[in-house]
Amino acid sequence: MNRTLHLLTVEGLEQSFGGVMALAGVSFQTPESLIYAIIGPNGAGKTTLFNVLCGFYPPTAGSLCFNGQELRGLPPHRIAALGIARTFQNLQLFFNMTVLENVMVGGHLRARTGLLATALRLPRVRREEQQLREWAREALELCELADRAEYPAGALPYGLMKRVEIARALAAKPRLLLLDEPAAGLNDTETMALRDLIQRIRATGITVLLVEHHMPLVMSVSDRLLVLDYGSVLAEGTPADIQVDPRVIAAYLGGAVQYAV
Amino acid sequence: MRLAGFYLFAAGVALLPVLFPDNYFVTVVGASAGLHVILAVGLNLLMGYAGQISLGHAAFFGMGAYASAILTTRFAWPGLLAMAAGLLVAGVIAWLFARPILRLRGHYLAMATLGFGIIIHVIMVQAMQWTGGPDGLAGIPPLNLLGWTIEGDEQWYGVIAAAMLLTIWLSLNIVDSRMGRALRAVRGSEFAAQMMGVDTARAKTQVFVVSALFAAFAGSLFAHQQAFVSPDSFNLMVSVELVTMVVLGGMASTFGAACGAIALTLLHQGLVVFEDYEMLIHGGLLMVVMIFLPQGLFVGLSQGARRGWANLRSRAA
Repeated sequence: MNRTLHLLTVEGLEQSFGGVMALAGVSFQTPESLIYAIIGPNGAGKTTLFNVLCGFYPPTAGSLCFNGQELRGLPPHRIAALGIARTFQNLQLFFNMTVLENVMVGGHLRARTGLLATALRLPRVRREEQQLREWAREALELCELADRAEYPAGALPYGLMKRVEIARALAAKPRLLLLDEPAAGLNDTETMALRDLIQRIRATGITVLLVEHHMPLVMSVSDRLLVLDYGSVLAEGTPADIQVDPRVIAAYLGGAVQYAV
Repeated sequence: MRLAGFYLFAAGVALLPVLFPDNYFVTVVGASAGLHVILAVGLNLLMGYAGQISLGHAAFFGMGAYASAILTTRFAWPGLLAMAAGLLVAGVIAWLFARPILRLRGHYLAMATLGFGIIIHVIMVQAMQWTGGPDGLAGIPPLNLLGWTIEGDEQWYGVIAAAMLLTIWLSLNIVDSRMGRALRAVRGSEFAAQMMGVDTARAKTQVFVVSALFAAFAGSLFAHQQAFVSPDSFNLMVSVELVTMVVLGGMASTFGAACGAIALTLLHQGLVVFEDYEMLIHGGLLMVVMIFLPQGLFVGLSQGARRGWANLRSRAA
């Protein structure tokens, strides 16, 4: 039997804002432990798709099935608890905290202690703090940020701030990681380092959903691609398929363009 | 060491009456400052850390005070039991109001909490048969702690100092923990906090209740210490002063809030000699501090001191 396991199954997803259809019936399946990229021109509905997935917008119609569980109707923190973490197109770091503390917030769901135990600093709170710090350090290590742990988050250069967001998401130990334009604003060296990082993340068994405009990065790192245009699926397949798909070339790449992989 | 600052502060609080025995300024003004510290530290959890303003915090201070006053004078309840009832009432009311109120942001939240404070104040004035109306309630018996009756300025200083240190310790614990980080995350980016799995509505409700409990605790001690309560101690101006303490000392710093509370209490005492000009000087000083130390007295000065120390060391090297 050659059955692929699908971590995420999206069916007939619709999202309208007033009269604007941001997503007009999007369906796709994300196999587990792969890098799945979503590309498309600005306004194609990529970030909207992420926001719907995370429970920030309740979808107008359709279903979102994650690991056998329907996400529709769940509040964001419950969806996060199922194992979905994300980064943001516009930085959403906690600038009032250090890098380490930011990443420790990522581990929020992996800890249990409530307010009363915390206020009294019971022994198990201390143990849990240590555990959270350790998890955060592991995530920082993976993102090559260990030496910046004690910096105020706002004191880092832009490229590193984007990495802190990835580390924060990883500290949640998600099964599905949503990266929203992680290469935006990065220089070439940083982008290459990002590619290595995404590959290291996949090697840990985490499925990555990648929204990105940087085509060399997308084509070299992803296992499969979904192309959105005007809120609909234009094409789906491997990078090699997508690069020769005439519909994609016509609508998006704007001619026969080949990228060195 | 995590609590080094706390032990230093506690040592200072304990040494004051030893260094200055029988000193009115230390015991009476110190006790008043201590109550303000409890209030400011609680409000700082809500305002400084979670970023939610409350312009009605005197209401919870009043609930604790009136619960103790009414239950001990009219129903002859023991002081500790009345205090527990006051905490329960303030906690439950805070919990009930938190969800609808904390959905609001910015100016709207300020207006809603302001209205809440005014309503509670009106009840204190109007519910004459319970609260004694504008004249207040007198004859509140001294607080009895398991057989020990607190009497005299020195004893009150000690009890309030202990209560203050307890709340500072609780606050430090909360801030430097999973819960504290969740609160700061709400202030930093509520959107991202939700996405990282923080139940932000719940976190905000919890911190609102905790700050209300701190305030009610201070209120109950205040009622017994003064043996008298009246609505004037819990009006809008008091709420505004509490916010001023937090901002003056430095937001999102427990010792900042404590310093703000102590500084403002001392300022009031020190300016009494200026009589009619007190408010003028008071307002002027606040403006000067906010212009030159926008992060607040404690946070601004400690950052400055750290920078100066680093400069000295680099020059020496």
